[in-house]
Amino acid sequence: MISVEPMLLVQNIVNGVFMGLIYSLVALGLALIFGVMDIINFAHGDFVMIGAYLTFLLATTLLVDPTLTAFITMPLFFVIGVAVYKGIIERVLGAEPLIQIAVTVGLLMVLRNLALMIFKAEPRGVPFTVFGFPINVGPITIAASRLVAGIVSLVALFLVHMLLTRTKWGIAMRATADDREVAELMGINVKKVYAVTFGLGISLTALAAALIMTFSRADPYLGLLYGLLSWVIVAMGGLGGVIGVLASGLIIGVIEAIGISVVSAGARELFIYLTFFLILWFRPRGLFGRR
Amino acid sequence: MAKPNKILGIPRRNFYGIIVFALILSTVPALLRFNTYYVYLATDIILIASLVAAWNIIGGYAGQLDLAASAYMALGAVVTGNLLAFYGLTPWLGIPIGVLIALGVAVAVGYPTFRFGIKEVWYALLTAALVVILSRIYWLIYGSTETYLPTYEWSWFYLRFNRYEPFYYMLVVMLAIVLWINYRIRHSKLGYYLNAIREDELAAEALGIDVRRYKLYALMIYATLASIIGGIYVCITGVVGYRNFDPWLGITTAVMGIVGGLGSVEGAVMSGMILRTLEDYLRGTIGSQYPGSHLLVYGIILIVVGVLKPEGLASLIEYVKKRIPWLKS
Repeated sequence: MISVEPMLLVQNIVNGVFMGLIYSLVALGLALIFGVMDIINFAHGDFVMIGAYLTFLLATTLLVDPTLTAFITMPLFFVIGVAVYKGIIERVLGAEPLIQIAVTVGLLMVLRNLALMIFKAEPRGVPFTVFGFPINVGPITIAASRLVAGIVSLVALFLVHMLLTRTKWGIAMRATADDREVAELMGINVKKVYAVTFGLGISLTALAAALIMTFSRADPYLGLLYGLLSWVIVAMGGLGGVIGVLASGLIIGVIEAIGISVVSAGARELFIYLTFFLILWFRPRGLFGRR
Repeated sequence: MAKPNKILGIPRRNFYGIIVFALILSTVPALLRFNTYYVYLATDIILIASLVAAWNIIGGYAGQLDLAASAYMALGAVVTGNLLAFYGLTPWLGIPIGVLIALGVAVAVGYPTFRFGIKEVWYALLTAALVVILSRIYWLIYGSTETYLPTYEWSWFYLRFNRYEPFYYMLVVMLAIVLWINYRIRHSKLGYYLNAIREDELAAEALGIDVRRYKLYALMIYATLASIIGGIYVCITGVVGYRNFDPWLGITTAVMGIVGGLGSVEGAVMSGMILRTLEDYLRGTIGSQYPGSHLLVYGIILIVVGVLKPEGLASLIEYVKKRIPWLKS
């Protein structure tokens, strides 16, 4: 019934692995925010979308490679993240989940429609990147942009892992995630940890957006895809630390690739969300030990 | 035992309220001088208000943030629409079939979901994903082509008209029915159970309430109402396609319900009507220069309500009620 060219499947799975690395990077920010602050952020994907547009703007006005814009967008997004935290998120800390969801859905609508107003629903792609060439490994072709995106994501994941496990800040973050009150008693400035966590989580989306723009395009509807996708990854293994996020991201990337090659490119979300249903139903603690 | 205070199972006051509300609404087309475009907008507003009132059952009463209103609505719509377009089946039969299919999906999704204790953010995400899944499945089966329903000058049998007034009045009746069901639930055992579940699910379970069963009942009633509304909707627009499964409609429905105040059907209807009117107005005025500006306003309203007034419009209604003596119960 369904016949799949084996090489095509392998090719798609290789692409899926690289996509999975980027998905992990996006989801890591969300996992940090959800894990440490217990804040339900529905607007996460839309920060990716805004980051993608910003990357486009910077790359085309400064005439630099999209990957380099991350040096500007990441600090900027950190500041935006802290500002959003101070302005909105701090007020709904510890509120009912429904209220948190409502507020972040509001944020999502603001971001998405701001992009729609400014860019008028036109997809924008960066016309140039130095990584625009393919690399042939035997019969398999790897786009250099995806390879670079994958490697940078992996490095970023590693750095965040080191931050969480080896630095004072990381230990403070994890302590706050475990028990806010005890952390406060131990002299950790929880408010500050929250602000930094949110800023860090948002600035990771800027890096992901810069990487995505080397081979994809920005459009206002990107937000829902990346938002739901990162929640799927967090559901699978989010609070199992960076390793859990990485493994889940890779699984999602490969599932998506198989869905694309076996059924159709339009079915990619179908497979991801069906996996989401199955994970929530049968492994509600995730594959890698969610609390 | 007769309960003299009640008519059709709801308090006398609420019953008369619905009647008066429906009568006021039925004068609207005349006030709009039967202008086709304005009556269409009014129809749209009543449709959204009914959908938000139906959402209130699962979102407001049961406290489950369901983002799949558009999934059930679209199931009713595509079943009714395709049966009419391909088999010439009257919507009067198509809508019940659509309801059955929507109910089937609601049970197939809701039963395991409640059984495995999915709630809060995970329930919201699951329902948002459900809309996308159904949209993709429909896309895989029917492709991206849209089907147009046959047109009739004036046919009650096929529910196709060249004006919007019949739909307007149908939806006013529908809104009245949805309101009646809302009040009926609120003043029944189911309503008290749902209220307990919303306030504290663990405590409700500890008191012996079969939490899963009553959440599922709420979901089924809501899916039924949403799919009937969808069946009427498809006769208005006359187009069937995978775009009927619109994740944004599901989210905006929930947004309106939250802005209205959870558990208050009056607030839900009010916020549905106000926000939709505002949206249509903004779309008509500044929407052409700044696409998306109407939804931007939504977002800001939602943040403001969430941060400053989590009780929503319902608290405003309560405030007015306290000031007007004859509205006190």
